Amino acid sequence: MQAVLDINALDVRYGPVRAVRRIDLVVPKAGITALLGANGAGKTSTVMAIAGVVPSAAGRISIFGQDMTRAAPDAIVRAGLAISPEGRRIFASLTVEENLILAGSAAGNAETAAERRAALMQRFPILGERRRQLAGLLSGGEQQMLAVARALMSEPQLLLMDEPSLGLAPQMVDRIFGIIEELKAEGISILLVEQNATLALEVADHAVVLANGSVAASGAPSDLMGDDILKSAYLAA
Amino acid sequence: MELLLQQIVNALSLGGIYAMLALGLAIVFSIVRLINFAHGELMTFGGYGIFLSMTFGFPPFAALVIGIGAALFMALAMERVTFRAMRGADVVSLLIASFAVSEILKVLFQNGISARPVPISFPSSWSGSYQIAGMTIGVVPTASILVTFASLGTLTFVLRRTAMGMAMRAAAEDFEMLRMLGVKANRVVAVSFAISGILAGIAAVIWTAQRGSVDPLMGFFPVLKAFISTVLGGLGSLGGAVLGGFVVGALEVLTQAFLPDRLAPYRDAIVLSAVIAALLIRPDGLLPAKTGARS
Amino acid sequence: MKTKTLLMASAISAIGSAACAEDYVIGVMSAQSGYLAPYDGPAYAGFQFCIDEINAKGGLNGTIPVRLIVKDTRSDIAVGVQVVQEMIDEGAEFIVSSADADPTIAAAQITAADMIPTMTFAGTAPVLTQVGPHVFGSYPADNQQAAVLAGYAREQGFESVWLVKSPDSAYTLGGPEYFGEAFSALGGKVVGESNYSLNQPDFSAIVTTIQGAATPPDLIVTWAWEPDFPAFIRALRGAGLDTQVMGGDVLDTPTIRGLGDVVTGVVHTSGGFPDEGSAYADFIDRFKAATGTEPDNNYYVNGCDIAHMIEQAIDAAGSTDPAAVSEAMAGIENGEGIMSNFTFAGTDRMPLRDVVVARISASGDKEFVLRQSADPAILPKP
Repeated sequence: MQAVLDINALDVRYGPVRAVRRIDLVVPKAGITALLGANGAGKTSTVMAIAGVVPSAAGRISIFGQDMTRAAPDAIVRAGLAISPEGRRIFASLTVEENLILAGSAAGNAETAAERRAALMQRFPILGERRRQLAGLLSGGEQQMLAVARALMSEPQLLLMDEPSLGLAPQMVDRIFGIIEELKAEGISILLVEQNATLALEVADHAVVLANGSVAASGAPSDLMGDDILKSAYLAA
Repeated sequence: MELLLQQIVNALSLGGIYAMLALGLAIVFSIVRLINFAHGELMTFGGYGIFLSMTFGFPPFAALVIGIGAALFMALAMERVTFRAMRGADVVSLLIASFAVSEILKVLFQNGISARPVPISFPSSWSGSYQIAGMTIGVVPTASILVTFASLGTLTFVLRRTAMGMAMRAAAEDFEMLRMLGVKANRVVAVSFAISGILAGIAAVIWTAQRGSVDPLMGFFPVLKAFISTVLGGLGSLGGAVLGGFVVGALEVLTQAFLPDRLAPYRDAIVLSAVIAALLIRPDGLLPAKTGARS
Repeated sequence: MKTKTLLMASAISAIGSAACAEDYVIGVMSAQSGYLAPYDGPAYAGFQFCIDEINAKGGLNGTIPVRLIVKDTRSDIAVGVQVVQEMIDEGAEFIVSSADADPTIAAAQITAADMIPTMTFAGTAPVLTQVGPHVFGSYPADNQQAAVLAGYAREQGFESVWLVKSPDSAYTLGGPEYFGEAFSALGGKVVGESNYSLNQPDFSAIVTTIQGAATPPDLIVTWAWEPDFPAFIRALRGAGLDTQVMGGDVLDTPTIRGLGDVVTGVVHTSGGFPDEGSAYADFIDRFKAATGTEPDNNYYVNGCDIAHMIEQAIDAAGSTDPAAVSEAMAGIENGEGIMSNFTFAGTDRMPLRDVVVARISASGDKEFVLRQSADPAILPKP
């Protein structure tokens, strides 16, 4: 099994607070790895550290076999990683199209960026329809699609998705999970952070459970599904 | 009526300078959370650029361009030497660092050039006036207004229509997210400083053309007003900074023009009270900044 | 252990005061930065130069060497007060204070207890000497300047004046008011007034008000200094008003003369004028030869004259006792100075000195107009 992401003994601190303690995490190629845990378990801190915007206090992060522990976020994007962050964080005062253009500026070539944009607007027709609208005016589900589309603009090999279903209507949640499976089928490796463990375990190939900043359990979804550790990890919070 | 119209011209001319300075402050603040107290020294340095190039015999127009270039250079140097190393520091540390930069530059100007104001003598045609509908209007205030609106227009175009402008608007909203999209942080920050430098340089040009001298404290007072403008408009909001600048400029001119003489000493107090009153009604400013939802 | 330290300390201070006993110690407040630096700097340079000359000849009156303690005030009154206290603690017997009324008044309150004579570098507001009998001006006071200037203005046929003043300092407020008083006493009329703040960003509103006045003035008088005066005159001329402008001695600087066309014809007062062959012209040559700097304003020579005032007061007092020196200074009549002679006797300790009226020529030079002593009949009371 080849790992696209390999995290070794990662520590993340915010001042005196140790949010992540010596986490080990491996994301295999072309699969979905679910990162589970209650609020405050350290999931988002881990994701931010991987993306390079939160410094890691200790440990090693390697992406596609390269050491990226202290790399700048733009180098990490160029290496083939993209993120659809928690809370979506789309640029509300920019139009839908501008959000995508920005994400494509890392691609370098303007022509390829335009082609990708066109392709993504076909894939997510609602974004095509609303391309000139301010992104802040989209519904929650549409904003989530924009966040995913924006991440795909850099044609990543590894996609970090942080809480993509949070606050969405059930129909929209289905749609988002449909997209996740499509992306997996296209060969993109995914690290999926979810509070909704049941949903995540349905699509995941592999799962890691965090509690209080440490790895509490890991293994195949079927093993974890009824596991007490998973339950207690959520109840612990 | 004529008097009022003339005072409106004055208000626009002064407000425009405040607006440009406030916009420079707001652009930098919105991206790196730095309240740049040394912004005034960018303007002062631009003024000295004009003075020195005229001393060395450059024609006035070239001197103005050199002045703007000097402010731009200083803005980039400030970013590279001081603020890049402090990226991510909290607002207070950055503010204090900018105080230090400001003080150091002031002392350098004073000891390196002169503690006294130095004169700038522009051609007499530049201080002329013309008549419109019975009103006498100065060439310099008119040029200031035109230059201000041209600058604000150009900047709006850059922010709306270019890739870098888009990145800057996005950075103002959520700089971290922009970096996670692979946009190079240093470039966006440097461009924001460059724009604030150019705006300070243009303000320096108008200021020296109106005032005829440069001294080490030249930038301090207008930038103080520009700070008030950014707070009034909404800290970090670009449109708010421009609006705040014009409002503060108009308040100053109108209180000067229409307050009875014995209230004159309270003019600044009255202007500031008006600003405080506005902030009590709208605590986030007249046009609050949009910031991305963050967890 | 404690006794030992105390003994040491008193021994050291004994040595210190022994050394002071021979020297006359003068404390100098000199702002090296801020709004006073442009005036304190030259005044101090001139003062130091002439003290050095005096010391080279064996000291004051050939016998009492002078030691200077110089401290920076950063143009901050609170710092100034602290600095004066330090200088007194270090044995200062005379204080030369910053070139403005407000810091001088603050300093004079500290020196009042020991009646240490306190003289301002160039403060000209007559109110400054009202703190006590130990406080002295050195430069012709604002009311003298205003009276001479008003006399000249009336002589030239000006009828109506507009005063532009700032309540932020005694100088910028007092000068125009004294002018108005003397001008009215001579039959002229004050037709309007405008107030500005120091470092006011913009003067166009004031200019527009003058422009729209019911009775347009034929003369505008202001005691504004830099950078306010350049801003005002540019706004005025920029609005198309070519009304005659007159002002106080702060306009006597190369910066103002370097402003170009807008200042052509501006008339201002001054403390002195270096006529060919005069002592003043000789001072300029000596100063330039010694320091390489051109003393391009009167603060240099006035600083030098302060050294001569101190020398003559000590000579007259026959001692260096502070109260005696103060008393002797106040009694000086027609003392010999380089910029001009000075009389303290019969005044409020603002010396009566000649006032020069000068005009800025089209080429940016200073032209001599007249030299006069203020007429006591129209001299406004402080």
